[in-house]
Amino acid sequence: MTDKCQGNGGKDIYLPEMATIKKVEPLTEMEMLFDIALDSGEELGHMPGQFAEISLPGIGEAPISISSSPTTKGMFQMGIRKVGNLTNHLHNLKPGDKVGIRGPFGTSFPVDTAMKGKDILFIAGGIGLVPLRSAIHYVLANRDDYGHVYILFGTKTPADRLYLEELEEWGSRNDITFMETVDKGDSDWKGSQGVITTLMQPATSVDPKSTVQVGMDVSGNMPGLDLVPKNTVALICGPPIMYKFVLIELKKLGVPFENVYISLERLMKCGVGKCGHCQINGLYACQDGAVMKYSDVIDVKEAI
Amino acid sequence: MSKPRVAIFDFACCEGCQLQIVNLEEEIIDLVTLVDVVEWREAMSEQSEEYDIAIIEGSITRPQDEERLKEIRERAKILIALGACAVTGGINKLKNNFDLEDVKKCVYGKDAAMPHLDTAMTKAVGEVVKVDFVVPGCPINRAEFAVIVRSLALGKTPVLPTYPVCVECKMRENGCRFEYDEICLGPITRAGCDAPCPSAGHWCYGCRGYVDDPNVNAAKDILEKYGKTIDDLKSKMLLFNSKQEPTL
Amino acid sequence: MSVKKLDKKALNSWVESLVAGQKVFGVQAKGERFAFAELTDASALRLDYDVTMLPPKKYFLPQREDLLTFKRSGGHESVIECDPFVLLGVHPYDFVAIRQMDAIFEKDNDDIHYKARRNAATIVVCDVQNASENVFAGCMNGAVVEDGYDVLITGIGKDYLLDAGTEKGEALLHGVGAPDARAEDMAERSKVWEANKAALKKHELKCAPADLPKLLGSSEEHPVWAEKAEGCFSCGSCNLVCPTCYCFDVQDEIDWNMDSGRRYRCWDGCMLTNFATVTGNHNFRPKVEDRYRHRYYRKGKYIPEKIGEISCVGCGRCITACVAKIANPVEIYNRLLEGK
Repeated sequence: MTDKCQGNGGKDIYLPEMATIKKVEPLTEMEMLFDIALDSGEELGHMPGQFAEISLPGIGEAPISISSSPTTKGMFQMGIRKVGNLTNHLHNLKPGDKVGIRGPFGTSFPVDTAMKGKDILFIAGGIGLVPLRSAIHYVLANRDDYGHVYILFGTKTPADRLYLEELEEWGSRNDITFMETVDKGDSDWKGSQGVITTLMQPATSVDPKSTVQVGMDVSGNMPGLDLVPKNTVALICGPPIMYKFVLIELKKLGVPFENVYISLERLMKCGVGKCGHCQINGLYACQDGAVMKYSDVIDVKEAI
Repeated sequence: MSKPRVAIFDFACCEGCQLQIVNLEEEIIDLVTLVDVVEWREAMSEQSEEYDIAIIEGSITRPQDEERLKEIRERAKILIALGACAVTGGINKLKNNFDLEDVKKCVYGKDAAMPHLDTAMTKAVGEVVKVDFVVPGCPINRAEFAVIVRSLALGKTPVLPTYPVCVECKMRENGCRFEYDEICLGPITRAGCDAPCPSAGHWCYGCRGYVDDPNVNAAKDILEKYGKTIDDLKSKMLLFNSKQEPTL
Repeated sequence: MSVKKLDKKALNSWVESLVAGQKVFGVQAKGERFAFAELTDASALRLDYDVTMLPPKKYFLPQREDLLTFKRSGGHESVIECDPFVLLGVHPYDFVAIRQMDAIFEKDNDDIHYKARRNAATIVVCDVQNASENVFAGCMNGAVVEDGYDVLITGIGKDYLLDAGTEKGEALLHGVGAPDARAEDMAERSKVWEANKAALKKHELKCAPADLPKLLGSSEEHPVWAEKAEGCFSCGSCNLVCPTCYCFDVQDEIDWNMDSGRRYRCWDGCMLTNFATVTGNHNFRPKVEDRYRHRYYRKGKYIPEKIGEISCVGCGRCITACVAKIANPVEIYNRLLEGK
């Protein structure tokens, strides 16, 4: 770059920085968890809900949400599903291999603002748990800053469950109400069956704060959700189809949409608000999202 | 890692697509550095029984060719259909619009009954065996072929454009052939060729086959705007897209 | 800044001197139409053109542009290509579009690839001498520009006024041995501007451009989107020829050595079927109707919300380029104004 043609002397927003894979750990047959550290030695500097662009030279680049909390230092984590050229190649990486990283990009869950002092309801469908996990860890690392914590998790089958040790830990903690369900169980599955909204029925008599919910009985007998709706902030992430139904249930439960945050998947190709691919009507998922307050986008036709 | 072994075979075709590979010129050195070409009748005399990648040019027009193709498929890990004849049946499929006996008599005259001139309805390679990748076009675009080969060598699945030829035609700043009182198949034909025909003053012949979801109804509608008939359009679609979905 | 008055011969000499001294891209005939291309022969310049097939955005956002080179064995390096050049004969509507692109590529995150090309350019705007068949720049505040250009050429009668608007422009006119324009010449130029504002309206928008965001705000369910989309080939022609469309795709390409390669961006379009398709094949805008609506909303609502200007300059290229003849923005907006 010569002086005469220098853009603004600023950095190239498309140029990745090098990072090293520190650890790989299979989550399911399809998903792998990567511990990644920037070669600069710096922290990524993200907040829960943000994403980064990960790339392999020659293969390409893709937006992936960050699964670890910024309270975890020295590295960050990405839970990556094998779905295409790049992710197939990423799954073949070993500790010590290099990747390119750009980011973090996008909005984050309001862990330090709107969520403070509130009861927190996490609702994750499938790999929607990956971005939510960052916020869950953050909340648990600062447990005293929040009220009751509910984590609802649904997958298609027991084989799709991720972060098994953490699920177990969440289930065993008495300062969290953890509930999960699978759309379709197998012979070993003792828990609830049904879509995620199965977990969102209002409680009748059971006080969830006093009950540890590791698994429901197969008849789907639920303790239900005993929320203080106005004091609850809900964070939702899952497949596109899930939002509509979860939002209906949240409305029934009386959680105000001003307290509901959704994380939306789109094709964030450039990550910096230029390429146009991730637009949701007038919003850019890479800049105005991926985390959005639902009351802000309730009239945005393409959002849900 | 040992170099992938590649074998190139031809069936019913003009072998022009293979010629496009030869026409890679200095890049052909890069190609044979990257892969081990173990069988290629047009360019070398050696033959091989084992290969990782089989590249098939031409369409399948005789029962014995189907058997030969199935054997190749069994020996190849990856099979690539090369060029319009292999990918869609191409021009060879024109004959499927006629009675086979009439076709033989028309082409071979008094020799029509000779056993070595036996022929059947034309099939694309994919109608006989499983095809892993296609390189469409008559002939293929050698730059596209080179990109596909390099992608495969890197373990990356090549993706063909899902948009029509108009994209590349507009980028080359051509006037639209419809404005020249022609029917052009560009709006419904898969891009990737870089629009050489409209750039040379011809309509698009549709040699790369249709885009995934061609708006044929729109094609019918615009005929009227340009003073053309459905039959005009049908005749254009016959050359490279006989017996292809969608039909009019 | 000075305004010089040149006769045809003096103008040619000036262009000759430009061509001799630097890289110049100017409007030339291509078949029966016009295109920007490298100018090596001053006499090939056609300032009397009506409209070019592609807008001059191709010099700032090339159809394909390397962003970086890489080696799989390690490292990426930015590619910034930016030899200085003169862009000769840009119509006012296209210049308005370039200034919008400037805002887009600067906003939030400065794009140094775009900016390097933009800084390398000296833009000579030329007032329209012949209206194209579908131009409606007169309705979109795109018929004339009164500032921002490096040089503005206006034909007045047999002569041309060359107005340097920036220091770069002054430098380009340096040494032109022509008299300064007089007050009556400037009055003639004003007449040309007024005439162009009226003449560049082959289609008449029945509202002010500033009313479009509000109009669109209440028109999402209007039947026109589905009606027009029925004829759409999803060919992206309207995107490609549009001076304010800038969406791009990013791809990697590997060399034969399987080590070095490049990451490049190339033009994309929101009308193309898979524009919003994510890996795993979910398409977030699968219906033609939705893509079709999206494009008009970008022009008339979304981008204005971002940069404060309607993102259609009235060049009319989309109207001409659309083979199905469904891409006339004026027709759409007027239809929305009618209600159902």
